[in-house]
Amino acid sequence: MMTGIERISNILNKKPVDRLGVYEHFWDGTYPEYRKDGKVGADESFEDHFGFDMQEGWPFNLTADLDFTVKIVAETDETVTTLDGNGAYLRRHKKRETTPEHVDFTVKTRRDWEEYKPFLVKPDERRINFERYRQSKEAARKANRFFTWSGVNVFECMHPIAGHEHMLAGMALDPGWILDMAETYANLTVALMEILFAREGKPDGLWFCEDMGFKERPFMSPAMYGELIFPSHKKTIDFARSLKLPVIMHSCGYVEPLLPKMIEAGINGYQTIEIKAGMDLLRIHKNYGDKIALLGGIDVRCLYSNDRDIIGAELKSKIPVVKDGFGYILSSDHSIPPTVRYDSFRYFLEKGLELGKY
Amino acid sequence: MSELINQISEALQSGKAKAVTELIEQALSENVSSKDILEKGLLAGMDIVADKFQKNEVYVPEVLIAARAMNAGTTLLKPHLAEAGAKPIGKAIIGTVKGDLHDIGKNLVRMMFEGKGIEVVDLGVDVSPEKFVEAYETEKPDVVALSALLTTTMGEMKNTVEAFTAAGIRDSVTIMIGGAPVTDSFRNSAGADIYTADAASAAEAAKQAILNK
Repeated sequence: MMTGIERISNILNKKPVDRLGVYEHFWDGTYPEYRKDGKVGADESFEDHFGFDMQEGWPFNLTADLDFTVKIVAETDETVTTLDGNGAYLRRHKKRETTPEHVDFTVKTRRDWEEYKPFLVKPDERRINFERYRQSKEAARKANRFFTWSGVNVFECMHPIAGHEHMLAGMALDPGWILDMAETYANLTVALMEILFAREGKPDGLWFCEDMGFKERPFMSPAMYGELIFPSHKKTIDFARSLKLPVIMHSCGYVEPLLPKMIEAGINGYQTIEIKAGMDLLRIHKNYGDKIALLGGIDVRCLYSNDRDIIGAELKSKIPVVKDGFGYILSSDHSIPPTVRYDSFRYFLEKGLELGKY
Repeated sequence: MSELINQISEALQSGKAKAVTELIEQALSENVSSKDILEKGLLAGMDIVADKFQKNEVYVPEVLIAARAMNAGTTLLKPHLAEAGAKPIGKAIIGTVKGDLHDIGKNLVRMMFEGKGIEVVDLGVDVSPEKFVEAYETEKPDVVALSALLTTTMGEMKNTVEAFTAAGIRDSVTIMIGGAPVTDSFRNSAGADIYTADAASAAEAAKQAILNK
């Protein structure tokens, strides 16, 4: 039987393995839900409990002004609006788990960006949580899991400071500004990784989070991706390649039109394959499965059903196909919410791995 | 005249807000009617943008800058349109449902609606069924459009439809739904009238619903 690190390394290189890899993300509310009846022990990690092959460490803080204390600018019984070190006004729900409302952004134009850019040029070590990286790395090593440095890439760096609307409009109106933002974040990310890896050692791979799509469309055209984002993706991935580290890129939403350029940028694996956004695991496998490994693409709505027949049918329709070529890691097409019962998730893993044996 | 109108449409399609306002000022000074500028210049231009968006010939950045250019143009035209007695083709209220703070998709739909000549009252995000009903009573729209990004909040769409039914106004309005997890089969179970997969289709469907009233 292979270890997690052997399995994932082989899958990302399309080499033979004993079974599919397995990994998953969970919504924050799922952790207490699965722990509350003692199904998962209070001190037990989900990686250990479910036997995942991978483990992530998220050590960077890329908020522009590290010395800015987050201010509450408005509050109700249900929501709180804050101003953060990116100059972003965000409203969050207190009782529900959801991404924040983009109320307003200080950075709307290139001129505004120039005020914040100096914060992001020098690789300030305060941006690195060395301890978190060390602990995750050590936990992964003990369990022989594949360990990734995980963090956002440039698209996910830019929208927290400028907001999606200003950033996307900027792509059309002032591409040089967007290119400069992307390059600044890419340079910072590489510089911080150089510091971290020199001190704490390399991970087994990199995991970049980049939500570049929504329902049935990427946010930008493939041409615009190629012009404005691709150079920074290539820069960060080239850095990984220089260290012989494979790269997995995550993107929710429909990003199929961007995949050829993402592959050209050098990704080894693509994660999410969000079905409700229009992605299709079998189609992506057919078109790109010979070039990259795939993670995800099992419709999480089937898991919501908590119906074993539905979950089993979803797995049977996909796993026998995508296991071909040794390039698939079992996971859902989105994070697991608390409405997916523990037993349903267990069944998903057991059935998926049963079908995914070689 | 038609050349100037075409130039307005083309400037809008390119998202050139300054050029749009300059051309509108020129057209007004040449006594081109504000209604023609709006319908044959701005709205026609947005129609082309929406069509290209549906065909994946343009993406969100191009739609955003075209909508900004249209906004600049309509702001300039507004007093002239009021003077000429021109009215929008109908009215919609729009919002993201309770518990959901996402607004990008909803904002795109708002822009596309405005591009069809529909007056839009944007209720924002985290809008409760009661607020939608209250807004209906105040605004008397032709269309109510509900957005949700999360599977955990899409149930509020059904609650909102039920609130309209409970208030006895369900048959007075077309209720549209959309968002990442929403499907036509969900529309059916929620009791809404129209589901569309993207913002441009939503705007066209809203326009048809208004014209067919």
